[in-house]
Amino acid sequence: MKALALLVLLAFSSASSTVLARGNADAGKTKASQVCAACHGADGAKPSAPDQPILAGQHYDYLVKSLKDYKSGKRSNPIMQGFAAQLSEKDMEDLAAWFAAQKSPLSDRR
Amino acid sequence: MLGAALSLGAQAAFAQEKKEAAKEVNTAMCTGCHGIPGYKTAFPEVYHVPKIGGQQAAYIEAALKAYRAGQRPHPSMRGIAGNMSDEEIAAYAKYYGGAK
Repeated sequence: MKALALLVLLAFSSASSTVLARGNADAGKTKASQVCAACHGADGAKPSAPDQPILAGQHYDYLVKSLKDYKSGKRSNPIMQGFAAQLSEKDMEDLAAWFAAQKSPLSDRR
Repeated sequence: MLGAALSLGAQAAFAQEKKEAAKEVNTAMCTGCHGIPGYKTAFPEVYHVPKIGGQQAAYIEAALKAYRAGQRPHPSMRGIAGNMSDEEIAAYAKYYGGAK
């Protein structure tokens, strides 16, 4: 019975996790509260200014790529470059896993 | 009940607003990538194209202007945004932006 409960739990947790996410969302949550939350909101759904993006529910791999591009300077934004420069690749994956899994107003509107 | 009615009213107003905004934009060039759930880029790197529906309008505007100015790398988006006027960029931001 216990084994069955565990199996059900495992099935649920893998179904709700983001496709291909390699990061650790719990570690990302902690990091996000220190680095990202002031501007993007703790769950990434309520940015503090209108020109800052909603991150909640955005695709995991797009978030990782954005952070890498900020760090490398491929994507030019002085504010984000400063934050991304402090992040390791693992930090980026953890943060992306956290934000990608949050409740989101974003959609693939046509 | 009142809440539901209000919410329905808000939805209708939202739909009307998007209908109006849609007249000013040609989303055909957006939906090929952004309108397909789970769609991935093929070039130059493979990753999911971002969801833009419901994003903050001012951010979409800033993103398109950054592509136009060459501050963001994606070649297709540079090409698309490169031909847009400020007015066109504002119209696309209005169409895709906003809560739903």
